[in-house]
Amino acid sequence: MQAVARGLEAIGRAVGNVVGILYQAGRDTIDQVIRNILPFMAFISMIIGIILYTGIGNIIAHTLSPLASNIFGLLLMSVICAIPILSPLLGPGAVIAQVVGTLLGVEIGLGHIPPQYALPALFAINPQVGCDFIPVGLALGEAEPETTEIGVPAVLMSRLITGPLAVVIAYLASFGMYAGH
Amino acid sequence: MEIAARIAEGFIGMFQRGGTQFVGLVTGIIPLLIVLMTAVNALVRLIGPERIDKVAMISSRNVLLRYLVLPFLAVFFLTNPMAYTMGRFLPEKQKPAFYDAAVSFVHPILGLFPHANPGEIFVWAGIAAGITKLGLGLGDLAIRYFLVGLLVIFIRGLVTERITAIMWARRSAPEGQGEEATSATEAAPAVETGGAAFASGEEA
Repeated sequence: MQAVARGLEAIGRAVGNVVGILYQAGRDTIDQVIRNILPFMAFISMIIGIILYTGIGNIIAHTLSPLASNIFGLLLMSVICAIPILSPLLGPGAVIAQVVGTLLGVEIGLGHIPPQYALPALFAINPQVGCDFIPVGLALGEAEPETTEIGVPAVLMSRLITGPLAVVIAYLASFGMYAGH
Repeated sequence: MEIAARIAEGFIGMFQRGGTQFVGLVTGIIPLLIVLMTAVNALVRLIGPERIDKVAMISSRNVLLRYLVLPFLAVFFLTNPMAYTMGRFLPEKQKPAFYDAAVSFVHPILGLFPHANPGEIFVWAGIAAGITKLGLGLGDLAIRYFLVGLLVIFIRGLVTERITAIMWARRSAPEGQGEEATSATEAAPAVETGGAAFASGEEA
């Protein structure tokens, strides 16, 4: 009798544990949506609304779209974003990448940029990823101060090479994507 | 009076356009995102960070594991920014390269696993929205972004490791070996402090 009771208790505890974890996962998700995702959607919606309504969209369509619909324009974009002085300034919160990405998305949706350029564009707008965060990121990895002193310029220099390279790789990998369109 | 009314209408119209956009984003992206993120968050909690630590310790030995498997696991299980704590299992000289690889993966992963970095989802979702608007599927783009992302972080790991090694050697070279060597060692910290100042300034 006691064994049965103990077994039931164990099962009950295990189930309670799993349900607790699932519930916590849901709570985390809703937290993230409210704290991070919805505010950014509000901000992006406002910008898109203004751009589409005022006709700034046409200016972007004539300047950004030609740049983003060929490989050389995308390469130029990635080189600019990877310049070691600019990249830490463009990095924070990935705000620049998100806004430029959304603008390009609008232009893709309007048919001004062919859809297969979405892949290289994803890399062209983002060679600066994390460049603002190198000392903190290294500190999280428990790096010595000397490592940080060398690591910051090492990563920034590396991006000058790997930023444009990523665009080329993505361009090659985009062949055949949405081909029928 | 009529002019004023028209201006007012135009002013409101601009924000109505934004509102339509907002509703589109909320109904188009959020429902799937919530359910998917809940599922993956639960999975991550069930597996637990302790087990990931063990995998990380093994992963540090091999180049392929270090700049390909470990950054993926770190970003998937620990998410941005805690993923970078995995660097503590690596030798000092490999930490910058690991950071570079890990941080470069926080966006390519978004197409398939948005729980890893929901605060920056528009790097992916912004461009993806255009594809959706054309009536095309996102699967092809998401999987290619993910795979190219893996290849790119591996290359970044290798390149940054190499650059770190060169800078390290230059710095620790004995002083007074002629003017060129000295000026080179002095130039490196000068560049670095600039970068560090920018970086910490932006973070604060």
